[in-house]
Amino acid sequence: MVEEQELVTALQTEAEKESAFRELVTQYKERLYWQIRNMVLDHDDADDVLQNTFIKIFRNINSFKGDSKLHTWMYRIAANESITFLNKKAKRNNVSMENVKDNALRNLESDVYFEGDQLQLQFQKAIATLPDRQRLIFTMKYFEDHTFEELSEILETSVGGLKSSYHIAVKKITEFIKTQDETL
Amino acid sequence: MKENKNISGFKTPENYFDDFEKRLFNRISEEKFPKSAGHKVPDGYFENLEDRVLKTVINSEKPTKIIPLFPKKYFGYAAAIAACLLIGFTLFNTKTDNSSLDSLQLAAIDTYIEDGNLNLDLYDLTSYIDDEDITDLNFENQQFSETTLENYLLENVDEEILINEQ
Repeated sequence: MVEEQELVTALQTEAEKESAFRELVTQYKERLYWQIRNMVLDHDDADDVLQNTFIKIFRNINSFKGDSKLHTWMYRIAANESITFLNKKAKRNNVSMENVKDNALRNLESDVYFEGDQLQLQFQKAIATLPDRQRLIFTMKYFEDHTFEELSEILETSVGGLKSSYHIAVKKITEFIKTQDETL
Repeated sequence: MKENKNISGFKTPENYFDDFEKRLFNRISEEKFPKSAGHKVPDGYFENLEDRVLKTVINSEKPTKIIPLFPKKYFGYAAAIAACLLIGFTLFNTKTDNSSLDSLQLAAIDTYIEDGNLNLDLYDLTSYIDDEDITDLNFENQQFSETTLENYLLENVDEEILINEQ
């Protein structure tokens, strides 16, 4: 695997840019995909957002100054792209963000690319009740196993704030599942 | 309870034990959550992703080919008609026309941007702004009322994070 610093240098050199970019996509495609997929839920939407994320990375790599690590910067772009996508989708369909999430969840039940059982579906429903930023923090920590320190760099928030948000998210999810179980 | 006779010299972060139960129970409830999200991808999706991404990136960089609305051979006629119209217009219409970019209503521009037609995000914007522009920015003259600011903060700020960061 090519070291990150070498990759940045190659990406900023016109002659090597394309091959370095290919290497970058190979290294990060899956990690970025899952981060995005956990936010947008639908595979085709995730594919769109992933492509947009890489286009943005390619276009802005020359202005990448190395103030943060390359992967941190990429995760941040993917996070912003996911939220921008959901907002745009809501605006385009002239509905609220809640509607977008509700529709995505409803589609999940018949989605051929969702193989979750009833519990996983309920879990997704619970996650969808969280505000965007909290949902981002929860999914990135829970499914992708980022440490709070990494998340703090990616989302430019303090570790304390992230921990608090995460714990509130866990609490909300637990309560949601409990209420659902009681009504069943 | 018996006090520890020997002191190890270790200490805990402030208030560590105060909310220990809270954190522990949180952890226990987390253990009950499903381990995976349940999503899957189409077969072979990741295998040719590099090619598709590169193709999209390269296509997005290429200037789009412009197909002329009027082929060159009609230019002569078009120019002649335009000249006639212009002369006619200047001769018979003495009214002044005030339409300019300045008269474009700010509200129309706002709606255009809010509708997402101006497809710029933070990364695009920063690529247009250099350090000098940033120092030139003057926030003091912004016309935000206190109510607008308050509404914005109420809607967009996560108080829990703020409280925690204090």
